[in-house]
Amino acid sequence: MNALVATVILAPLLAASFGIAVRHKARVRDVLTLTGLASAFVASLGIFAEVYRNGTSVIRVGDWSPELGIVLVADTFAVLMLPVALAIILIVELFAIAQRRTEWGANPELTGPLLGVLTMGVSLAVLTGDLFTLFVAFELILVSSYVLLTHQGQQAQIRSGMTYVVMNLFSSTLFLFGIAFVYSATGTVNMALLAERIPELSDGVRLGIGAWFFVVFGTKAAVFPLFSWLPDSYPTAPTTITAVFAGLLTKIGIYAMIRFHTLTGMDAMGPVLLIIAGATMIVGALGALAQSDVKRILSFHIISQIGYMLMGLGLFSAAGTTGAIVFLIHHMPVKTVLFLVGGLIENDQGTSNLDRNGGLAARRPLIAGLFAVPALSLAGLPPFSGFVAKFSVISAGIAEAATPVVVMALIAGALTLLSMTKIWLGVFWGSKPDKSKPVRVSAANRRLMLGATGLAVGLSLFISFYAGTLVELGERAATELRNSDVYISEVLR
Amino acid sequence: MIADRSPIVGHAVAAITPLALLIGTYLLFAGHNNPGGGFAAGLVFGAVLILRTIAGVQKPVDAPLLMAAGLIVIAIVTAAPIFWGDYFGDQAVVSAELPILGKIKSGSALPFDIGVTAIVIGLVASLLDGLSLIDADGDLTT
Repeated sequence: MNALVATVILAPLLAASFGIAVRHKARVRDVLTLTGLASAFVASLGIFAEVYRNGTSVIRVGDWSPELGIVLVADTFAVLMLPVALAIILIVELFAIAQRRTEWGANPELTGPLLGVLTMGVSLAVLTGDLFTLFVAFELILVSSYVLLTHQGQQAQIRSGMTYVVMNLFSSTLFLFGIAFVYSATGTVNMALLAERIPELSDGVRLGIGAWFFVVFGTKAAVFPLFSWLPDSYPTAPTTITAVFAGLLTKIGIYAMIRFHTLTGMDAMGPVLLIIAGATMIVGALGALAQSDVKRILSFHIISQIGYMLMGLGLFSAAGTTGAIVFLIHHMPVKTVLFLVGGLIENDQGTSNLDRNGGLAARRPLIAGLFAVPALSLAGLPPFSGFVAKFSVISAGIAEAATPVVVMALIAGALTLLSMTKIWLGVFWGSKPDKSKPVRVSAANRRLMLGATGLAVGLSLFISFYAGTLVELGERAATELRNSDVYISEVLR
Repeated sequence: MIADRSPIVGHAVAAITPLALLIGTYLLFAGHNNPGGGFAAGLVFGAVLILRTIAGVQKPVDAPLLMAAGLIVIAIVTAAPIFWGDYFGDQAVVSAELPILGKIKSGSALPFDIGVTAIVIGLVASLLDGLSLIDADGDLTT
């Protein structure tokens, strides 16, 4: 277990360092980064198997006691998240290598090593058992994301990158302040100790901490009204970068929120969370309808979908938390695939604008197929994982008699289907546009890109296929989060 | 090149360099229990690098390679305890009785600190690079 957790965190770091050292030798660099990311993924499967059989496992880094040092906690929620996240990064790195450096493709000399650093941040953020390490992990993710977002230096990227950097620096600063508040109120930043001590605080202090961290994680997760940086910056980045951001970054924010707010028992914040969840869903879905670019539509969908996860959390019931977790896991591969398909469309037509695309279904039925599966899943049609995810969130809402937010969720679902139809009509049906300037890609690279996208579709189908198991595991994770006794006793033992 | 035009600068930099390197090395070793450490040492070494570059007596160093080497050292030191059955990130402490120096205590934190130093020097070097202070021939641009 110790070696597995070390691999998940250190293998991507080693991959990144070796990747920097041999950055000019394309083949060696690509093999090294892929090996590092792949071994982290395999190790995460090992952690999953271990926790699935034996329950929560705790690693004390450097053998310090939890009061003094850093603990890494592999509970059911963490091990559900970790393999999916690492698989997505691996797939995206494969796609990025195939796409090569073009106007649309990211520079592989940078993406390989930086994705390594980002992976280390993701592993750390998922596994960490204290707030300060969570902050460090967020910073690792953010610093590499700043570079990934703007490294091509196009005007639009720098302009929207500015908003992105300022918003994220602002929320990181708030995070740091929040950690100071928590420490002065409780004398610890360890989550297990916080789960013990925060519920004992007076209502004002407790809810103040809850609201503060809601703003911090909410900015990272792009909830209403803190989402303005997302639809502006994501579409300008190279597709591969957007794919990994869309699949992971906002989800890490919502992951941290689910963990922190359930462990510390912020149930009283439920109604506020539900109102914001409803607004997030509707604003995201309406925003998506107003756009005419594939990547912009998809970016607004990220916001809308975050609303569902927030709704699951805001219900503060076992079923609600289960729904949020299932939705989170289902959403990551689906969103990544959609952006990767957006990249394939761009490669084919030289643009992802709906008005300057058309007739792709007849010419490239495979791309149409790769788009259709995740699009239907995102809209929540059976038998795909999106149906199970939406069903569990909404049925939890009905069980709690939270009628307004349930109605909003259903409306947002219909709007999502509508904008997916819009992409389908604009890109896949109709006539071939007069002017298209396809990006030249060799046949082998095209196959590799299609293969990577196919792998991601496969991952989302795999989740659909094992949706029953996912819901069971989600229930187990939700129980562990809500009854914090197990978490506390395992960490402090 | 400032050093070519002014012998005062040239000699001053030549005189300061070993002293500053000595201070940096002291900080690196002192850091385990006293103020100092890998980061502070790296900054001092980095300052030497900047001074020598501005004076024009320093060829550019391979900044990414330095950072990569530092990261690799750190990763290996962090992972190594696994092979002894300890939690990763654990550290080994050795102490020895040496002539003249007396009792010396050190451990796996030292290579870790050296890794940090390498990263910080690499960072400073790449800042020089990023500010475009160095042209393709390794000379200071004016």
